[in-house]
Parts: sequence; structure tokens; C-alpha cells
Amino acid sequence: MDIEKFRDMFLVEAAEHLQKMAQLLIQLDNDQHDADNVAALFRQAHSIKGMAATMEYHQMARLAHHLEDALDACRKEGTISEKLLDRVLDGLDLLEKLLEDIREGRTERDIDAFLASEEVIIELPDDGLESDFRAVGQGLLVELQLKESVGAAGPRYLVLLKRMADFGRIIESRPSEELLLGGEVPKKLSIRLESELSEEDIRQRLERYSELDRVVFVNESLEAEQQVRKKPGHQTLRVNTELLDHLINLTGELITNRYHLQSALRQQSWQDIDEGVGRMARLIKNLHHQVLKVRMVSLDNLIGRLARSVFELSRTSGKQVQFNVDCADLELDRTIVDELLSPLTHMVRNAVDHGIEEQGTVTFKAWRERDQVLIQVADDGAGIDPHKIREKALGAGLISTTQADNMRDIDLYQLICSSGFSTAEKVTEVSGRGVGMDVVKTAIEKIGGVLLIDSAVGEGTRITLKLPLSMAIIRVLQVDCGGVCMAIPITRVIQTLEVDPQEIKSSGKQLLIPFQDELLPLLSLRKMLNLAKGARRNAIAIVVTEVFGRRVGLVVDRLVGQREIFLQRLPEPFEQIRGCNGATILGDGSIVFLLDLQSLLEKRRAAA
Amino acid sequence: MTGKVLIVDDALFMRNMLRDIFEDAGWLVVEVDSGEQAISCYREEQPDLVTMDIVMPGMGGISALEALLQRNPEARVVVCSALGQKKLIMEAISAGARDFIVKPFKSEQVIEVADRVVGSS
Repeated sequence: MDIEKFRDMFLVEAAEHLQKMAQLLIQLDNDQHDADNVAALFRQAHSIKGMAATMEYHQMARLAHHLEDALDACRKEGTISEKLLDRVLDGLDLLEKLLEDIREGRTERDIDAFLASEEVIIELPDDGLESDFRAVGQGLLVELQLKESVGAAGPRYLVLLKRMADFGRIIESRPSEELLLGGEVPKKLSIRLESELSEEDIRQRLERYSELDRVVFVNESLEAEQQVRKKPGHQTLRVNTELLDHLINLTGELITNRYHLQSALRQQSWQDIDEGVGRMARLIKNLHHQVLKVRMVSLDNLIGRLARSVFELSRTSGKQVQFNVDCADLELDRTIVDELLSPLTHMVRNAVDHGIEEQGTVTFKAWRERDQVLIQVADDGAGIDPHKIREKALGAGLISTTQADNMRDIDLYQLICSSGFSTAEKVTEVSGRGVGMDVVKTAIEKIGGVLLIDSAVGEGTRITLKLPLSMAIIRVLQVDCGGVCMAIPITRVIQTLEVDPQEIKSSGKQLLIPFQDELLPLLSLRKMLNLAKGARRNAIAIVVTEVFGRRVGLVVDRLVGQREIFLQRLPEPFEQIRGCNGATILGDGSIVFLLDLQSLLEKRRAAA
Repeated sequence: MTGKVLIVDDALFMRNMLRDIFEDAGWLVVEVDSGEQAISCYREEQPDLVTMDIVMPGMGGISALEALLQRNPEARVVVCSALGQKKLIMEAISAGARDFIVKPFKSEQVIEVADRVVGSS
């Protein structure tokens, strides 16, 4: 049986089990006497053990087994102690690291330290060790593993360690000789050896040890390279069989319809052709809808991870933080959900770290508005003082004195996302990792979303994300400019206006237009793209959008309308063209380019 | 790879069994029943390999091993022990035993261990 075939499936399923474990742990933290949850937690550990053992991921199986044993005892009482809760939580961390090792194709890290720390909870038992060990980089790194059936494995490893010492100088070994003598029975022995002998020589000499299951020379440079090369190209996705059947049925109907159309064409029956085309349109629409569903995943996993972050943060910071979730049964494109984890984690951390003082609530809200999904992370902490932002932005030269005086508070808040801006005066361990809100904002914009910050002193801070449902099919505003048809993602459009040329004011060279209670600077798309001058019109079409945190009015020749497009990435070398994010082909065969205003303006800035 | 083996064990049964195994594999066998005797005859016999029982009356296997190696650092000693004596095996390896055999043993295991210990310079 080719175990590798099942690897992807294992990865997906194991991740789900770990996720469930995390959720259960959080629930149990609220109520340690929930017998159902204790039993469920036990079952999760049990499932992971079984799967990992089948796949021969020994470390993972051992650890899951260990947790299962610990949970089995308290399952009978229907309650879990705080100590065990912490222990399982740490175990879960380690399980996730092991899963990560497996996913990246690395050797599973050793878990003996964790298993040995039955009483004392050791933070990250193996992580530091591993990296220190690998960082040495000298000599050969050899991993020896005995067959499962070998008795007296401890002494056997000791013999091997001694034997290896005959081949050269042992720089380091894991476990060390002392640990082996102390009775530790490892799953494998890692040795960093400085030797005159070649790998082949050593391998040959070790051939006499039939107790050995594996001798691996870890090629560190190769390993590092592989990790770099590893790209998330192939991922597996679980698809509901019902959905799959539906897709197959639809394909079947399409095939039938093709024959209908072919026969109608032969008979030149216009009525039949007309009906066939109509049916085809309905089928394709349905197919499109269903196919999109395949990529949709629920937000549950994401929320679980965030809940865990909050849970852990409240433990480490000593603040009492409640995490509330208010979320309809929503689904989003998998790519978007994946990309959301890191910015959302950062937002949640900010909320706990800077928003909440001693105790409070972080609320996660998600809802759908037409073809957008809105996600909000709010805290009921101290809020952000707009005056502080004003001072800081002035100090950093982000705004002029005039701007500072005239800017509305809501616009001031958006400045937090400018690079180099941070209101947190002291840098704490958690969110002080150099990733500020500017990075969060960039990440959100990369997936076609928009980020808005709102805050009130004494009431808290609220960050709202507006996201497209899917990355492949997006809703756009189609515009015409200099005879070229272009599209702007609807999520980037704040409003469209048609104004009389007389409403336009000027300040020096800059043209401005009154919008709400501010003056918007106008940018001409035609000039930005060096397009031919269009015909003069009575009304000027403007798209109000936001770039670099500032609202601007983009002047176009004509607003064509909204539509859904299937966005395709441009092939090489066109994908390097800045200002364009992809394209779509319309029904008449013409190509519409998707404008990326941010990069277009960056280009202009760079040129200036 | 064969040669001369010195079997050190207080139990006749074990000595006979080991003798059979080694002789079948073409080894020359010398046997003694105590650590003291092993030390006294080593110089004369110059065996290629010594199998030493760990638990023996009088001078125990580990003390015998230590004394033997002190006088003859080149001696290649494999210790024999029963199941569940891991700690003693560890001690013996630390003291300089090249390998170990756990009773009950199979002949091919014994020969494999003997071969590789003698085969390694």
C-alpha cells in the first residue's frame, strides 16, 4: 500500500481533529465539568492516534496516545482538571507542530521531552533544541532509527552512539549519552558527526546492525532548499459528495444539451436552437454557482483559531478577555479564508494587547451584504484618542497642519494603517513583532478587500473588513476611458458621481471636487495611462475610491455599469505590468483589464 | 569472520548453548565459569572475542569487564544479560563493552553481534 497517497487526506483530516480539540478545550475552559466535551476531547485524541499510527507518524501517534491516556482517566469522572487542561493544550501545540513537520515533509520532531514532563509543564519542549541543533551546520547529521521490534532499544542506541564515536568525533547527539544512560528510550538517535569517512563508508559499516531500521543522512542544505521551494500549489480540498454528484449531473445535462443543439442546427430549426441556447445558459449559470461552492469553506476553523489566540493571550497577559462570536453560517473562498488568518490574528492580538486594559470583550462579527462579506473585530477597551493620532501623524510628517485641522476623526483613524505608524507606545511581546496595521491592511487589500478603523475613546475600537466572496469571480465596475474598457473591483469603489464641469475647483494644479464635507483630489485615469483624449462631455464621470488611505476621485470617460467577471491572471510576461491585476474576456470577445489603482499610483510615484 | 571466543558464564547450560552456536559458525571456543578465571586466562588465550555474563557470583560481570579492559584495553567484550537488565547493560556499555546480547537469544543474533564486533577494527 502506498501510504504517501493518503498523506494529503491525512493532513486535512488531522487538521480538522486538531481544530475540534482546540474548540473543545476552549469550551472546557469555561466549564470544566462538561462531561460530553471531556468525552469528545478524548475521542479526538483517540482518532488522531489511530490515523497517525496507520500513517506511521510515530511521534504524533505516541503523543496522541499519551493525551488519550490522560484524558481517559478523567473521562470517567466527566470532568477535567485545570492542570490537565493546560497539559492537553500544550500537547495540542506540539501536535500542530508535528503536523506541520509532516506537511513540510520534515522528520517529525522529537516529543520525549514533553512526555517526560508529566508533572512540570515545559514551554515548547523541543522547538528551541531542534533549531539550535540544526543551526550548527558542521559535520554530518545522521539519524539512526531502530526497528520497532528491537528489544532493549535504550542500550542499543547507546551501543550505536559509541560505535559512531569510532567513526570520528561526535559533536553532538540527541538524545545525549547522559540522557540515554538515564534511561531515556528515544525513537531515533540524531548524531552530528565530524568524520573522515564518507556517508557511504559509514552506511556500509552500519549495515552490520540488522536492528537498524533506517540510517538517514540529513542533507541540511537540501532540506532548507526544499522548504524554500515548497509552494502551496497542490492542496487538497474536501468536497461534499452531494455537491460532487450535482456537478456530475450538470455536466451530464450539458452533454445532452449539446446533442440537442447539434441536431437543432442540422435541422435548422431556429426555435429549437433558441431553446437549446436558453437551456445552456441556465445550466452554465447553475454550474458556475455550484463550482464556486466547491471552493467555499466555512469560517468555523478561522474563528476557532482566533478564539484560541484570545484564550492564550488572556492566559499570558493576565487580562480577563471574553471572546464573543456573532456570525451567521457564512462561507468564503478558501484562498481568502487562508489569507485572513494572519491579519485577523494580528487584529485580535492588538485588541487584547492595546485595547483591553484589565478585562473586556473581543467580539468577532461576520455577516454578508450582497456579494460582500463583512468581518468585524471589536473590543470594548479604551479606544484610540484621535488627538494622539493627529499629533503622531503630524510628527511623522504623514499629514500637514492644515490637513490635521480639517481631517475628520474617522479619516484620522485610517492613518493608523500608514506604514511607520504605531500608537502603541510600549512594544509588548505579542504584537510588537514589527507587523503593524499597515501590513494588515496590505494583506486585506491583496485579496481585494477594504479595511476600516473606527474608534471612540472609552468605548473601544472596531475594525471592519469588507471582502469579496470569491477571488475568481468578482463583481466589478466597468468603465471606459480613452476608448479602452477597464474594470475596478466593486469593493474598491466608494461611490460613483457624475458632476457638472463647473463644480470642479482648483487649488494650484490640483483639481478638486466637493464630496460629502471634504474636497476630493481628482486624478485623470486617461493621463495616468497616457491614453488618447476622449470626446468632451457634459457630465464628468468620477469614481470615488481610496488609495494609500486617502480618498480620491478618479476621472473616467464613461461609467459602463456593474457586472460579474471571471478574473484570469495574465500570463507571463504580462503579469508584471503594474496597475493591472488580471483580465477577463467579455461575451463579444473583447478583453477587459482589471485596474489595480494602488500599484498604478505607486508606479506614478516612483516615476515622479 | 571467525576466530577464538572466550565464553564467561557461571551456568553450564548457557556455556553449552553458546559453545554450540559459535562452533556451528566455525569459531574456536574456550570457556570459563567466572570473571576471575577470565582475567587470569585472557593473556594466555588471546581470544578475538569475550562474551561475559553480567550477573555472576563472585566478581560480577561488570567488575570483571572493567578489570579485563584495564589490563587488556584491546579486548573486545560483549555482555550477555537477561531481559529487564537494561540498567546493567547500560553500565557495561559505559564501562567499555562493545555490544550486548539479551537472553533468550537466537543463534543468528549472537553471530551477527560477534561478527560485527570482531569485524570492526
